[in-house]
Amino acid sequence: MKLYEYIIRRLILMIFVLLGISLIVFYLARGFPSGIDPVTPYIHSKMTAEQIEMVRKIHGFDQPLYIQFFYWIRDILQGDWGITGTWANSRPTNVVFFSHFPYTVELSVAATILTVAIGLPLGIISALKNNKLPDHVSRIIALAGYSVPAYWFGFVLQLVFFYYLSLWGLPHLPSSGASGMEGVVSCITGMPVLDGILAGNLGYTLDALAHLILPAFSLSFISMGFLTRIVRAGMLEVLRQDYITLARSKGLTERVVIYRHALKNALIPAVTLTGMFFALLLGGAMITEYVFAWPGVGQISLRAVFQGDSNFLLVYTLVTAAIIVIANLIVDVLYVFLDPRIKY
Amino acid sequence: MENSEVGTTKSEWAARWADLKYTLYLLRKNPLVMAGIFMTFFFIALMFLANYIVDPKLANPAGYPEFGGNYPFQRSYVWSKGNIINWGPGIHLYEGPEFFLLGTDGWGRDLLKMIVLAIPVDIENAIIITLGAAAFGTLLGALAGYVGGVIDEVVLRITDIFLSIPYLILALVFATMFGRTIETLRFSILLVFWPTYVRLMRGQILSEKEKSYVEALKALGAGHARVLFGHIIPNSIYPVLVQATLDFGSVVLTFSALMFLGFSPSPSLPELGNLASDGYFHIFDAPWLMMFSGLTMLLIALAFNLLGDGLRDVLDPRIRR
Repeated sequence: MKLYEYIIRRLILMIFVLLGISLIVFYLARGFPSGIDPVTPYIHSKMTAEQIEMVRKIHGFDQPLYIQFFYWIRDILQGDWGITGTWANSRPTNVVFFSHFPYTVELSVAATILTVAIGLPLGIISALKNNKLPDHVSRIIALAGYSVPAYWFGFVLQLVFFYYLSLWGLPHLPSSGASGMEGVVSCITGMPVLDGILAGNLGYTLDALAHLILPAFSLSFISMGFLTRIVRAGMLEVLRQDYITLARSKGLTERVVIYRHALKNALIPAVTLTGMFFALLLGGAMITEYVFAWPGVGQISLRAVFQGDSNFLLVYTLVTAAIIVIANLIVDVLYVFLDPRIKY
Repeated sequence: MENSEVGTTKSEWAARWADLKYTLYLLRKNPLVMAGIFMTFFFIALMFLANYIVDPKLANPAGYPEFGGNYPFQRSYVWSKGNIINWGPGIHLYEGPEFFLLGTDGWGRDLLKMIVLAIPVDIENAIIITLGAAAFGTLLGALAGYVGGVIDEVVLRITDIFLSIPYLILALVFATMFGRTIETLRFSILLVFWPTYVRLMRGQILSEKEKSYVEALKALGAGHARVLFGHIIPNSIYPVLVQATLDFGSVVLTFSALMFLGFSPSPSLPELGNLASDGYFHIFDAPWLMMFSGLTMLLIALAFNLLGDGLRDVLDPRIRR
């Protein structure tokens, strides 16, 4: 099978996966007793009963659930993604989603960079000093990373770097939000840091960066452990193989052996993990965004859950699931370039 | 008599005993695993003893007539706000003879006692969820791997679907739609965790069923059920055990995260995430609420992660010797 055939096959499979996901979420969000009548977001006080009935008919809310699903698919394909409830000012769901999405992208990029920058060296050190003190230290850091409750770690960071530092009159980091200077520069990409750079406004950029540090670090600390573990395992596995012994016996320095020969092969599983982690983050880190009042899609989706807004939840799960499935595919395709032995 | 034909002989038992002794030796040698084992035992013991150490009736907010079940947090502003030396441990919330080592929560209940009462709730739920997810995932994965064909493909695509939904949103939507009871929460978290076991078990079965002993069993006339449940699954269960131990920490964290986000069946339920959620709007006024309940959560998750990490190192034949 050629690579492009493989990609096409996976893309066709993706359609079925997305259909399955929307079916599950559709039945969960619309089908159960505590669900709110899906017509509510479309109604306002000046509508007559006939008009409400008409809205019902147009979107198929008067039909049985399994027929409603087809109405919903028709609407999605026509570009009508439904409107949100009053909690988001009854704007179209895609507008709400994509106005908050850049914040999540910014946070995800920052968190992924931090994760790789800290997790990768820790994993390498851990493998090279196997069962010695640096190994134990980095393993404990990694373990703490995936044992820590996300809300608690965010809270501790806020307490130390915002509350206590400000209490003692020291320079401190902002505790919440994405930017303290809203509206100073024009919104081009929607990401505060990038907007500040594009506008050439140093003060705004620094402020946005300061807001980014705590949530990004909080997220990356949690995922760092997984990366460290997989890099360590991969390195240990690779270092035992024959070609490493051969490289050493050729008289290459340890540095060249590790960074040129071993690391590249040990990194393959780490690439998968980082890709998956990034895709998951793009779906919104709900708890971290909630704790730091970060205006990303995770926090917004949480509000939608509490409001029982089925339109927004459907669009949200569909888009994030599509991101995850596509990221999976990209990682699988990257394999071919990283490891020439893999063929599809 | 039929069992003895393909059962284990005496010398095999001796070999297994030696293997077990070697495993225990490896466990003893690793300080991190030992720490994990001790912490796990501590929490499991606490799980059984908590209701004898602390009277569970203390969790009922109606027992605090002074506050009448209302939030008395405003009162605590007087002594906690802006005074960092004064927070938390050893502080009297209201005038009285009682002394609270970790401070009190929103109802004026002793936080230390509430944490002790909360530990069994969290661990019990996590055990039920993990075992449920592992059992269901293992069975389905074993079936998919053993039967193969269309069933295999369908099961794999279903796990694909479940793995592609952001893990919290699935649990959240499910919990919202079915109401906030403990059973709903358990099931909603189980929904998130079962697909991993399907993948894991299926992979194990695929390599295990090609081995010659399976062929020998079939030649002896053993039925499919006996081959699968009596031999293949027991022979490939170790990775599932390790994964379950490792998942246990995440399950505890996810369960308490749902509670923290407000899916608790009752605001007065002593549960670690619930206690922390009480402190969310008072993080700078009453930081001890989040600090100590979160710390307990961290320790529970750490205990099981240390154990699982160590078990994997010890049981994995590639790293073992």
